[in-house]
Amino acid sequence: MGDKTDVWQGTLALMVLRTLESMGPQHGYGLARRIEQTSGDLLQLNYGTLYPALLKLEQEGFISSAWGTSENNRKAKFYELTKAGRRQLKKAAAEWNQTTAILARFLTTAEGA
Amino acid sequence: MGQVRAFVARFRGFFRARSIEDDFAAELESHIELHTENGMRAGLSRTEARRLALVRLGGAEQTRQSHRERRTLPWIESLIQDTRYGLRTLRRSPGFTITAVLTLALGIGACTAIFSLVNAVLIRSLPYGDASRLVYLFTPNPQFKLPAEIFGPAYADFFDLKKESRSFQDITAFDQSIFSLASQGAAERISAARVDGDFFSTFQSAPELGRVITADDNQPGHDKVAVISHALWQSMFAARADALRRSLSLNGTRYQIIGVMPRGFEYPHLSDLPYGNAQYKTTQVWIPLALTPQQKIDRETASANAVARLRPGVSIAQAQAEMSTIMARLDKLHVPQMRGWGALVENFVDSTVGHVRSLLWLLLGAVGIVLLIACGNAANLLLARAASRMRELGVRVALGAGRNRIIRQLLTEALLIGLTAGAIGVGFAFLFLRMLPRLDPGNIPRLREASLDTRVLLFTVGVSLLTSILTGILPALRVSRINLTEFLATTGSRSVAGAHTRVQSTLIVLESALVVVLLASSGLLIRSYVNVESVDTGFSQSTVTMNLGLDARYSQQRVAFFHNLFTRLEAIPGVQAVGAVNDLPLSNAEALCMFQVEGYPNQKGQLAEARLVTPQYFSAMSIPLVAGRFLTEDDLAGSGYLAIVNQSFVRKYFAGRNPIGGRINTDDDHPHWNTVVGVVGDVRHSSLEESPAPQIYLLNNGLPESYIAVRSTLQAKSLAASIRSTLHTIDPNLAVGDIQTMGDLVSDATARRRFQTSLLVVFAAIALFLALVGLYGLMAYSVSRRTREVGIRMALGAQRNDVLMLVLKKAAVLVGLGLGIGLIGAWFATRVLKSFLFGVDQHDPITILSVCALLAVCGLLAALIPARRAASIDPMQALRTE
Repeated sequence: MGDKTDVWQGTLALMVLRTLESMGPQHGYGLARRIEQTSGDLLQLNYGTLYPALLKLEQEGFISSAWGTSENNRKAKFYELTKAGRRQLKKAAAEWNQTTAILARFLTTAEGA
Repeated sequence: MGQVRAFVARFRGFFRARSIEDDFAAELESHIELHTENGMRAGLSRTEARRLALVRLGGAEQTRQSHRERRTLPWIESLIQDTRYGLRTLRRSPGFTITAVLTLALGIGACTAIFSLVNAVLIRSLPYGDASRLVYLFTPNPQFKLPAEIFGPAYADFFDLKKESRSFQDITAFDQSIFSLASQGAAERISAARVDGDFFSTFQSAPELGRVITADDNQPGHDKVAVISHALWQSMFAARADALRRSLSLNGTRYQIIGVMPRGFEYPHLSDLPYGNAQYKTTQVWIPLALTPQQKIDRETASANAVARLRPGVSIAQAQAEMSTIMARLDKLHVPQMRGWGALVENFVDSTVGHVRSLLWLLLGAVGIVLLIACGNAANLLLARAASRMRELGVRVALGAGRNRIIRQLLTEALLIGLTAGAIGVGFAFLFLRMLPRLDPGNIPRLREASLDTRVLLFTVGVSLLTSILTGILPALRVSRINLTEFLATTGSRSVAGAHTRVQSTLIVLESALVVVLLASSGLLIRSYVNVESVDTGFSQSTVTMNLGLDARYSQQRVAFFHNLFTRLEAIPGVQAVGAVNDLPLSNAEALCMFQVEGYPNQKGQLAEARLVTPQYFSAMSIPLVAGRFLTEDDLAGSGYLAIVNQSFVRKYFAGRNPIGGRINTDDDHPHWNTVVGVVGDVRHSSLEESPAPQIYLLNNGLPESYIAVRSTLQAKSLAASIRSTLHTIDPNLAVGDIQTMGDLVSDATARRRFQTSLLVVFAAIALFLALVGLYGLMAYSVSRRTREVGIRMALGAQRNDVLMLVLKKAAVLVGLGLGIGLIGAWFATRVLKSFLFGVDQHDPITILSVCALLAVCGLLAALIPARRAASIDPMQALRTE
């Protein structure tokens, strides 16, 4: 159970960081929607799980948050990528790419054999 | 990196929980609002849109919970919860809490107190740089059959060793003296060390003020300088810096003060040198040794104490090998009949504290046992309470509390008890240290420096934690095994009672067994102490003695001086006899002489304890005459050399002969025959615990340094005052030191034994008390649990006596089992004690029997109260309450 969440949280964190990089400061709801859209609605995100992930990233210093006003004049908390967050994104993205590349090789070889 | 940051953030989150909680609630609300608006834009009603938003969120409360868990460190929170809950439950049952806390506090306090001694004496390092590299150098000579540590190297040997050895970084020689120090019109006796130029550098000790003694100060003509101790600086010069421009008058000679040593440096102490003289308690003055050229090449008579510091990387074994090689060569330079000088390198720290190591470990072992018993009691109390809380705990389990959480809860409670007990225990230890000066036997180095420093307090915290775990683990395990279905079926109050008392009874049996071990040990020590106290010392304990030294001014007039002094002292009303001797019995100083007896197959290296005395010495000390006659004043004027010997001497060297008229030679080179005129009783000279050695008394009434012994009908104090004023009228520059009765010396000689015996007896008493409280508690507990059973028995016709016996029998079985196991334990444990015993066998049957009787009687008394309560149970009421 714990393991699964960690894996999920790991990838969720990466998605959050990437989304924040491309979109700039964004509030929780906007992030959740954007992640769903980017996944082509393949990912049915339980929005509640997003907040502990955001908190974790903030505690680790990869993102920062501040209260602001949304496009339709609602008070909302906005998250923004920090310098450390950018570095982390680069690192995590590279690792993820490598992992998928390796896994892809395995899967193609297995198919070929 | 991110992880560390996250931990810090979560830790801070713990303190800002409230504001973060509010902040997140707002964020969540804004999220739901945004989502709802979005839904409404898609055409849903507000209610429907909001419902959907909550569904997609996965529940507002669940989100809040997972956010909360991520926010802070949950275990701290539950720890605080446990602590709060624990404090509350402990407050609810003050009787239980106070008993458990005090029981453990006694055990922890005793452990802390003894550990503070161990810390001061054995663990804390000596203030001499890296003390582990310091060594004593001895040159033992086996032909004298004496302890090796008596032989310091002769000066000539010392200088050769210093020149030739490569093992030592520094090497120093020093000697001790007692001086009359003139201060403000009066004179007092102080201990001084005469040291060479390397003394302070060997000990790596720097002065607090001024400078220390150098090689230049040891040159003749430059040697009238002195370094003083911190204590003397304070008492004589009120710690003023201008002390360096002042001087001291020692035996009438002036010494310029050049330095002040810091507090804590008073080497050598009484207990430092293995065969040091008891007169020297601590050193207050250091002056140059300033050897004459003759002394420097003296290989036979003058010798020093030698201390060296090993070079880094040189082991004691290597230094020993080198010194042995050098001494083997030097031995050939000695006069032929004295040869046989060897080498011994001894660890400085070991030789300073080695002799008390076993005593301190013994005491620490004893308090360890006390602590175990205290733990047993506290565990029993917790078990009993856990049993009565079974319902509460069962309900918590039934409501879904995790077993781990329950165990943690119980351990937290044990921890609260243990830590509180630790705090109170530190208080007990503090009281003990306040009493320590009164218990101090005086010959345990640095005992008085014992304090509650950081190391001791850490030890206490450690012991408290360990104690908490030891006491908490049994009840926690027991409770964690609650069988839920069984618990619910039986409503949970009786189901596990039987199993409980089994564990509790085992604990009580073990406690009694441990008590037997402690009681047997202290019993043996008490018997030994009584034996030592009843040893016949051979002299009167009321005789008042004092030390008197005459300086160079008197070198030609000593006989006249003493004659004058004694005449005046004898004139004091109430004074019956006045005598003098070079070394008092039990003063830790010994003078040995080699001798031959006429008409006896003499052997090489035959030794007797020799005393130089004035004629009245025997009368002043009340040493009884067994045969022949005492010495008289007339003998002083006579030309013949006379001797008196003791009974042990006669038994060994005049067996079957009349000693009176026999002759003894006390000088190898120039035969010097003394005629025996009398035989006196044996006197314990070196120790109360060794049988008296052969003793020879020779006449001398002109010693430069001697002890005066006065027998009188006066009070010791007023006699001392009269003696002081008499001496003052003769010469105000002279001082008497060490005024004490012979009884004081005997008391000093037994002080160590009194110390160890009283401590062990106190610990055994605490242990016995704790075990009885434990037994009482268990019996009372089981009676209260068996009220219904007793009620039924009585309803069925059991008499009150039967009930009484029922309880007593159970107690008897427990105590009996404890005794049995304890006796087996004591059989082995008292082996450790062997070296502490005197005149009693380690398996002494009288001690063992008394211990058994004591424990049996006390145990039954402790059980009697609950037994009578059981017997007074009203059967009707007992049956109705259930």
